[in-house]
Amino acid sequence: MSARTRELFALVPAALLLSAGFAAIFLSRGDLLGGLNGTNQVSDVSLTYGGIFLGVCVAAHLVLRIALPDADPYLFPLVALLASFGLVEIYRIDADLARQQAQWFVIGVGAMVTTIVILRDHGKLERYRYTIALGGIALLVLPRLFPPTNGAYLAIKVGSISIQPAEFAKIAIVVFLASYLRDTRQVLVLGATRVLGVTIPPLKHFGPLLLVWGTAMLLLFFIRDIGSSVMFFGGFLAMVYIATNRLSFVVIGLLLFCGGAYLVAGHIGHISDRIDAWQTPFDPKLFDPGKPGGSYQLAQGLFAQADGGLFGKGFGGAVLELPSGNCGADAQLCTLLPAPHTDFIYAVIVNELGLIGASGLLCVYLLVVQRGFKVAMLARDSFSKLLAAGLTTVFALQVFVIVGGVTKVIPLTGVTLPFVSYGGSSVLANFVLLALLLLVSNRARREA
Amino acid sequence: MILDPFSVLLKYGFLAVLYIFLLWVSRSALKDLRRGAQGPPSYAGPIAGAEGTSMHAAAGGNEAALSALDPRLVVERAPGHAPGMEYEVGPGAILGRGDQAEIRLEDPFASSRHARLTRQGGVVILEDLGSTNGTYLNEELVGGPQPLHPGDRVRIGDSEFTYLEALD
Repeated sequence: MSARTRELFALVPAALLLSAGFAAIFLSRGDLLGGLNGTNQVSDVSLTYGGIFLGVCVAAHLVLRIALPDADPYLFPLVALLASFGLVEIYRIDADLARQQAQWFVIGVGAMVTTIVILRDHGKLERYRYTIALGGIALLVLPRLFPPTNGAYLAIKVGSISIQPAEFAKIAIVVFLASYLRDTRQVLVLGATRVLGVTIPPLKHFGPLLLVWGTAMLLLFFIRDIGSSVMFFGGFLAMVYIATNRLSFVVIGLLLFCGGAYLVAGHIGHISDRIDAWQTPFDPKLFDPGKPGGSYQLAQGLFAQADGGLFGKGFGGAVLELPSGNCGADAQLCTLLPAPHTDFIYAVIVNELGLIGASGLLCVYLLVVQRGFKVAMLARDSFSKLLAAGLTTVFALQVFVIVGGVTKVIPLTGVTLPFVSYGGSSVLANFVLLALLLLVSNRARREA
Repeated sequence: MILDPFSVLLKYGFLAVLYIFLLWVSRSALKDLRRGAQGPPSYAGPIAGAEGTSMHAAAGGNEAALSALDPRLVVERAPGHAPGMEYEVGPGAILGRGDQAEIRLEDPFASSRHARLTRQGGVVILEDLGSTNGTYLNEELVGGPQPLHPGDRVRIGDSEFTYLEALD
């Protein structure tokens, strides 16, 4: 079976999942409205949605078949699966948001196809590396001009559309670092000395490391967003490690980052709030739902996840809001789980599909990451290797930052769960990321 | 409403489809792992591995890695050379059309001193010596000095070589 045929078959389960999910939600809604009246339409409509979804995916698949015949067969179906997860859960939370998300999904697939058709060869990106780097940094700094959300400068607002430029900046920065490290990696390892069995690179070559570290700290300081700076710096360290095979860079980088983050975090109010909320989410003082920067959201998310049990409560089973009569004048009390469609979509998924469903979702992410690193291993030239590995690392770190935040492994920061969370910028940027991975894998597998 | 049998069925159906899909995709990952563990070395493994060890040797001065390296250039196609011919790089070599070149190219596009291979620790570095028509590493123009990895293709004009290190 050729790679593309396998891809086509692998798209079917994603569409099936979407149909099953929508059917279950229609069912629970129909029951809420009064008995089994709606049941018959349920299967028709949900199958139609599944069919449309499959149609969009197959259209993209046909473009891949022509443009990238040797690309990795499982990357796109895995992403389609994630998207179907997201669409089902967002529909369950709010039908209007799901409609927008579905539009963004179609636009995202379009962006992926456009990137592949226009770029054709990712090697071209190297020629524009400084332009891309400048663009990336500009994208990161721009939100500073706009009012912050929850204390962090994350979005640009143009008219009614709000764009999260960090999502696009992550790709730009990885592209730049890949082409920069390709040229300088040799310099970074030569002339190193060994002290107590640890290889220490010469002091002058810490320059680039310090520069990126400084950028990450500035990000933390100006944008006030720990999530993005962890993503960028982690991605950078992983790429340096891959380029030089030097653990010392990673260890020194991590120490620098932790030290810097500790110093900076103390001076920014909402970051220390987040850390307090992370350490003691059930403290009655912090749990107060009316208190901005409290732990209400995190604690409720933990309750929701525990409530899911092994198999979850089923689609439509999560209680996200109390009926409006039951809460007082304070509107915040009515919302049991704030931001369920963006930051806390993972908690909703755990609540409705349980430990088994959530592990399945994380396995999908793991497989995407595995495919990504495999692309990097197969790639023949250093730029492709670094690009694929860097993009995959940033993607993996993003999942870690948000899932880790929701499950109280690390302090919570608002980044999106790629392809699942509601958000146009996130969907669009991650599809461009996928397009780049597919481009690299096409060349790598053709030559291998 | 939550215990509606059809709805419960759909939930388990959803989970079942998800896990069957996951098994299917991970099966191919397992196949890759097995191939890497025993079968003939695919290109993926050795390149990534050798890259790592050679980098270590560069700074650590690992003598064993140095002597085991035995870098060679294998002729793929070149005017005046039979394909499959091997040149040992030794401590370093100059590629070019001129008389001083260790690896003589009878290629009209080659300069007399075209490119140089040097050993730096356990790494062989390819460097263009300001040639007229440029040197290509894996079809990318070589700007500064570039480290070579086994399997890399070096092209000068119409002459093309594959870089190999002793694998035994």
